[in-house]
Amino acid sequence: MVQKTEAVTNAMLKMALDAASLNHQAIANNIANINTQGYAPVRVSFEEQMDSIRETLEEGGKVKSDMLSGIQPVLVRGQPLVGDGDRTTELDMETAKLAENTVHYEALLKVVGMRMSMVNSAIREGK
Amino acid sequence: MSVDAISFIPAVSTPSLAPTDESNSMLTTGGAFGSWFEQQLSEVNTKMAIADNGVQKLAAGDASNLHEVMMNLQEARMSMQLMMQVRNHLLDAYHEISQMQL
Amino acid sequence: MDYRNAFAISASGMSVEKLRLDVTAANLANIHSGKKVDGTMFQPMQVISGEAQAGFSTQFEQLSGAELHGAQVVGVTTTPTEPHMVYQPGNPDADDKGFVTETGVNQVTEMVNMASALRAYEANVVAMNAAKTMALKALELGGS
Repeated sequence: MVQKTEAVTNAMLKMALDAASLNHQAIANNIANINTQGYAPVRVSFEEQMDSIRETLEEGGKVKSDMLSGIQPVLVRGQPLVGDGDRTTELDMETAKLAENTVHYEALLKVVGMRMSMVNSAIREGK
Repeated sequence: MSVDAISFIPAVSTPSLAPTDESNSMLTTGGAFGSWFEQQLSEVNTKMAIADNGVQKLAAGDASNLHEVMMNLQEARMSMQLMMQVRNHLLDAYHEISQMQL
Repeated sequence: MDYRNAFAISASGMSVEKLRLDVTAANLANIHSGKKVDGTMFQPMQVISGEAQAGFSTQFEQLSGAELHGAQVVGVTTTPTEPHMVYQPGNPDADDKGFVTETGVNQVTEMVNMASALRAYEANVVAMNAAKTMALKALELGGS
């Protein structure tokens, strides 16, 4: 049925989960260092690497496995924050990013579980 | 196929087994029922392709339709399970009939 | 990915903020202290925190995020502050003009520091709970 796209989707899901897991560590590091002077926040570069794939999907095209090669979630260091003023804005932003990332990770996990259970029921022949 | 598809199984539901010149499986030569089943198969396939597409969009970072992705996945899963049940019952019926002493 | 690293990062943040709270509490406790036995005044302390570095991070660590180690306490410093003079002629410690020296601890500053340390501590707790929830959800894969 959907065998050809199955492997591509699985690869995309795995990379998205890796990216979300790395993103959590980046956000946790930013929160732990919220009161560190001159701290340079970290973030994960993955979404922008997937820009062209998102465009392809939006136009109704298909994702090929060679489009995924070379895409890898990596940590990126930003500019050190200057001044020792109030850091509540940064803390609020990081907390919001944490909530979004957690939901995204759990949604991806749920999707992986449902796909696995579909294959499982096909193997068991619905019994 | 939605759950009330069960009600629109066409009246000619028994497979045409009696005057069999062909020894083909009833699924491909069963007349209206066979073509209905094929149609349901392709519908399930379409549903799974739609669900797969939504999953790929989610993995690529487009989370604007999370509820839609989940609903499409559930629909695809339920369609497939329903189809499996129909297939199992069909096979059981076939075995039962084929073992009748004539 | 290493879920334990996520816990370690949040735990390090929690311990830094906890020390900050303790130091602020010590400053506030000494706000009206007079001279110490050796004649010096209490100086308000403050915690300097920095990002925790590993000695050496491998290529693999950089990719997997293991090079993130949270925060650490670099030091606890005392900033020499101007003592606060209070006019109390009846006080046995008063000098010849009737002024008593008190520590230069600024109560408002200390309260603000305490509030921000508390918020940061709570944010680290939230991050740790999120990591735990995510790891537990991953364990449920293949359940139903």
